[in-house]
Formats: sequence, C-alpha cells, structure tokens
Amino acid sequence: MRRTRSTALLMAALAAATAGLAACGSSGGSSGGSSASGSKVLKIWWYESPGSAYQIAWDQAVTDFKRQHPGVTVQFSLKSFNQMQQNASMILNSSDVPDVMEYNKGDATTGLLSKQGLLTDLTAQATKYGWDKKLSPDLQVTARYSPKGVMGSGDWYGVSDYAEYLTVYYNKTMFAKYHIAVPTTFAQFTAAMADFVKDGVTPLANAGNDYMAMQYLYELELGKATPQDVQNYQRYTGPVNFHDAAWTGAAATFQSWVKQGYIAKDSVGLTATQAGNDFQTGKNPMMVSGSWWAGTFQSAIKNFQWGSFLWPGNTLNAGSGGNLFVVPKNAADKQLAYEFINDTLQPDVEAKLADNGAVPISASTSGVTNPQGMQLIQNFQTLANSNGLAYYPDWPTPSFYNTLLAQTQDLMNGASADQVLGTLQSTYDQYVNSLG
Amino acid sequence: MTSTSTALADAKDRGRQARKHRSLPYLPYLLPSVVLFACVIALPFCMNVFTSFNDWSGVGPMKWAGLANYRRLMHDSEFWASIWHSAALVAAMAVLPTIIGLVLAAALFDVIAKRFGPRVASILRACIYLPQVLPIVVAAIVWGWILDPQYGALNALLRAAGLGFLAHDFLGDPKTALLTVMAILVWFQLGYPVVIFMAALQRVDPALAEAAEIDGASWRQRLWRVTVPQIRPEIYVVLLTCTVASLRAFAWIYALTSGGPGTATQVPSYYSYISFFTNLDVGYGSAIATVLTLIIIVVAAVFLGAQRRHQAMAD
Repeated sequence: MRRTRSTALLMAALAAATAGLAACGSSGGSSGGSSASGSKVLKIWWYESPGSAYQIAWDQAVTDFKRQHPGVTVQFSLKSFNQMQQNASMILNSSDVPDVMEYNKGDATTGLLSKQGLLTDLTAQATKYGWDKKLSPDLQVTARYSPKGVMGSGDWYGVSDYAEYLTVYYNKTMFAKYHIAVPTTFAQFTAAMADFVKDGVTPLANAGNDYMAMQYLYELELGKATPQDVQNYQRYTGPVNFHDAAWTGAAATFQSWVKQGYIAKDSVGLTATQAGNDFQTGKNPMMVSGSWWAGTFQSAIKNFQWGSFLWPGNTLNAGSGGNLFVVPKNAADKQLAYEFINDTLQPDVEAKLADNGAVPISASTSGVTNPQGMQLIQNFQTLANSNGLAYYPDWPTPSFYNTLLAQTQDLMNGASADQVLGTLQSTYDQYVNSLG
Repeated sequence: MTSTSTALADAKDRGRQARKHRSLPYLPYLLPSVVLFACVIALPFCMNVFTSFNDWSGVGPMKWAGLANYRRLMHDSEFWASIWHSAALVAAMAVLPTIIGLVLAAALFDVIAKRFGPRVASILRACIYLPQVLPIVVAAIVWGWILDPQYGALNALLRAAGLGFLAHDFLGDPKTALLTVMAILVWFQLGYPVVIFMAALQRVDPALAEAAEIDGASWRQRLWRVTVPQIRPEIYVVLLTCTVASLRAFAWIYALTSGGPGTATQVPSYYSYISFFTNLDVGYGSAIATVLTLIIIVVAAVFLGAQRRHQAMAD
C-alpha cells in the first residue's frame, strides 16, 4: 500500500513538473497585439548593433511609425546575431514571437523558415504597398522563396531596405606612400599586391576563422564563372562541378596568394574583427569584405584616407539584398508589422542609410555628404546595372559556412586543392540530394 | 530441520520487511531529485535518442531515418577525428593533471610545507588552483590574445628573448593547434587534483611514511608505495570527474578554435553543437550526442568498477 502511495506520489510529482515545464514553454502567450491596458503594441526585434547605419535608419522608421500611430506602443528588443541564427526556428514555433523581426536572407535561413511555415506570406502586401516596384529584380531574389525554400521565385517572405556587396577597401595613404595605382584590372590588382609584398607589406587583410577567406575564394571563382554557374550553385538549377576551371583556378590562386605573401599565412586563425582592426590600423592596405564595414570605417578611421573599389576584372561579384524584415506566422498584429516594414522603405529612412555608410535599395546618392558613402553607392549601381550580384558562397546549404571555413583554412595550411574541392562537392551534393 | 528452515525463512522475511520499512521513509526525500533527474536528464536523453533515428531540421515534421544517422557516423572521418581529439583531451585534462597534480601535491605537502611552512604551501596551492575559478570563456579569450600570431604576448616575448625562430601561429597551424589546446587544458585543470590530493594527504597516517623512511625508502618510493595506495579513492574520483569533463569539453574549443583550423581541434561535443544549431541537422547532432553519452557512461562504469574491485581487495 505504501509502495503504491509512493509510486502515485512520484507520478503526481512527475506530472506536475512536466505540466510546469509545459506551462513554461507556452507561457508568455500575449505576444504583441495589445498590452494589459488595452492599447495596441508592435513588437520589433533586430540584431544590428547600436551606432550602425541600419540601427540609425530603423530608429528613424520607428519614429515615423510612432508619429503615424500615436495609439500604438512600440516594444523594441535588441537581439544578437547568434541568438537569432541558432534559435529562430524554436522561437518562431512558439507563441511568444515579435510582430516583425530582422532575419538573415538565403535558403538556409529565411528559406528554411518559410518552408517550415513559420513566416507570413507577404506577396499581397508587396503588391499593395508597392514593394515589388521598389526592389529591383536582383534584390527581390532574396525576398522570394519557393515552396521548397529556394530563393529567387515564389512568394514574398521578407523585405529588405538595403543592399550589400563585397568591395575592396583600400588605404589611400599607403597606396600613395608606395606609389601604387588603384587597380582596374585583375592583372593590375595582382601587380599591386606584388609591389606591396616587395615593400614588406602584406597587402590583404584576412580572417581564416571567419567569413573572409571563403569570400576571397568565391570572388576568385566568380572571376571565371558564368551567371548560369551562379544560378546552378545558389538555386540548384543545374549540376555544380567543384572541379571545373572556375573552382580549381580559384583554389589554386588563393593558395598561391598565401604562398606569395599577399595573404598572411598566420591569418588562418583570425576573426573578421581582427582583420578589420588590421585594416584600420594600417597593417594591411586592402581588405575585401562587405559594404557593412563602411559605417565602421567611416567612424573609426581618422589617421588615413580610405576608399573602395570593386574587385577588379569581375562582372559577377558577391552581394545581394540585405537582411530581411519578416513577419512571423504567429505574429499578433500583422497589419502593424506591414506598416512598419513599409516605413523602412521610405525616402527619409533610405537617406539615413545612405548617409551613414550603407547602401539603400534605391541606390540613391541624394543627400549623401561623405565621399566614401557616395563611392560605395556608385559602385553598387555599377553592379546592379550589370546584374552582377552573385549572392554569398555559404548560402547553398546550412552547413556550407562551416564547411567552407574549415576547407579554406586547410587550403591556407597547404592542403591539396583537389581534396578540398572534393569535400565541398560531397557536402554540397549531399544537401542538394536531400532536397529531393 | 524443518523448523530450523522455517525459522531461518521467517528471520530472512522479517529482515527484508525491516529493510523495506527502513527505506520507505526516505522515499519522499528522494522525490525532488528523481523528478529533476527525470525532467532534466532522463526525458531529454530519451528524446535525444528518439531524434537520432530521424531526419529533422529542428522544426516541422520529423522523417524516420532508422539507423541512417549512425551509419553516416561510422563513415564520417570528421567524427572519428573528433573522437581521437577527445582522447587527446582526456590525456590533457585527466591523465597529465592527475600525474603532475600528485607529484605537486606531495611536494607541497611533504617538502614545501615542512621547509617553508604551511602558509607558503597554501599560497602556492591557491596559485595553482586559480585557473579553476576563472570563467572558461574569459580564460579562453585571454589565451587567444596571448597566442595571437601577430600581436600575441607569447610570440612578442619569444622575439624579445631572441627566440624569434620559435614564434609560431600555435592555434592556426594544424600541427600545433591540438597540442596548444592540450597545454592550456593542463594549465587549467591542474589545480583541481592538487587541491583534492592535498586534502587526501591530510588523512594519510604519517606513521606509515615515517616507518618507510626509517626503512630507507626514498621520497619517490614513499610516494609510490605508501602514499598512492592510501589516496587511491581520491585518485579514482579525480580521474573519473576529469575524464568525463574532458569528454564533454566544449567551451574551450568554442572560444579558442571553433574546432579548427580545418577540423584539427574538432571534438564530439562541438561537432554535435554545430550539427544542431548551424547545420540544422538535428537528427545527426542527436546521434553524435547519443554516442558521446554512451561513451561517457561506459567510461564512468569502467572507472567505478575498477574502484569497487580495488576497494574489495583492500577490504
């Protein structure tokens, strides 16, 4: 009898604890919509750091929204990139979700969430608010996803108000000091790097333990790739051969650059922040990375002149629309979310982006007061006009960021290019085959 | 004969009932732990095992995959490399600190404390233990700075001392990355066995060591023949806890190398994490976690079995 009572007690406690946990999991159900006092609430999440062009511009959008909706309380939460990258699926699968949030573009991120049914289809809103006119076809690629979660076609699941692309940042003062001209062809680019090496300067800042090394590899690959190759690689529209001329050439050139000292071998363990510091402190006269660095350089670099130019000789260049504002499926007040997204696309917000070192989707230079910002936007216009945006190398599969990171580190450490490309091929094929 | 058997059976029965009655009042006290164990360990573990038999991205419907994830695991060179790296970390976090810790503890207890006083021994013990109180991520970031190939203190020191030829990208070179991580882990872990062994040495009867000394045993012989057998239970505890900790090592790899360069410092716990959260391959990540858990259970069982055998022999 006692044993029975003990067992019953144990079961009851287990049930209570499980119920408690379940309750914890589903608590906080009052997401947005209306507050306790009955007034409407718009919950916004993003992960751009304070002081960045995006934060400055989106603060303007919040101000505009509040002015248009005096009865609505805006609840903003700053999240971290990792927090969203790792937990977005779980968060969006709960009832405690924001009404609108920033999320990474691409198949492995927004594409995956849309496929899982966790995001609201914004197609009707894109037409209603005219977003389909404001975003050029190139920028719409990352906003639209097929039922399989592949970008480039299908319904709208997010909207971006800025664009981004890889560019070559350069230290004008160092170029002048060593009498090196700004290169306009690939041959001039390598010649300039050879000249810097002769002067004892490592020309390119790099981070092997971050996204930079893989971006060098991709830019080199794009130098020989065709637009169809890009589509095949990014959207699985055809076979991808990592042993073709473009990839083998890119791997060989990347390795030879490390060997020749254009890229420091000991940058294999560095992070992007460390590489950025190397450029900012004048250790390396060039850094190839995203337009998102411009705002940082604008405010941090005081002791030398800097500028940017497109990767010489490439028609195709890594780049895309920026991160997206998405509306979770379980958002409490979707209408408010749509109106906020629309506010982020207005001229005053675009002007803030442009003037603080970002590239607005309109690519308008009106009101831009600094020359670096002007250059950045003009270079983007060149890319956009030639349909040259080729997205990013790690987008095709969720695991490709880690695979590319490890494989480019191996390349820097002298691994066989054939073996590295073989690993890329098998990882890529495995994922594509799993899509069915 | 029959009455004796009946009496014996009655006595056994009474004994069993008495034991049962004695244990029952304690059950309510065990309940909180049982509930916690069930909710925090047993249930998630069962769910993890179930997930490992599925193909799942973390959200949405699971697709039954049977043993596919385990078959993939068997042929995954990165997983096997991570297992070997884990074995190296066992050496760095359990074997080496236990050996060095034993010698250091004995030296502090027998030599330093006697010659320079217990205060000096305590200060030295605290210094050796200090890394253990540092948050792992903080310590890892600081080590990352020290070992930075371009601006790091270690290379700067080597160059300043005229040993520039030894300056190296310790964490960036696959030949030295794992060894460097191991060296850092020895530094971090050493304090734990030293403190445990010094406490253990307090309870060893000094008469035994004195008798051995009178018989002409050297310090090394006394340590090995007299002290070590006396503190064997503590050695088992240290080896077991350090081995389990090394198999679970995650934060050091996460903060120092991210498993790189390439996969030179990849370990199962980090590989599982990457599969879960970055690659969104939750079924495969679960399979790695399940295998890791089984390895830890087997290792713990082997240690506890060995300890019981030694205890039985000693008794």
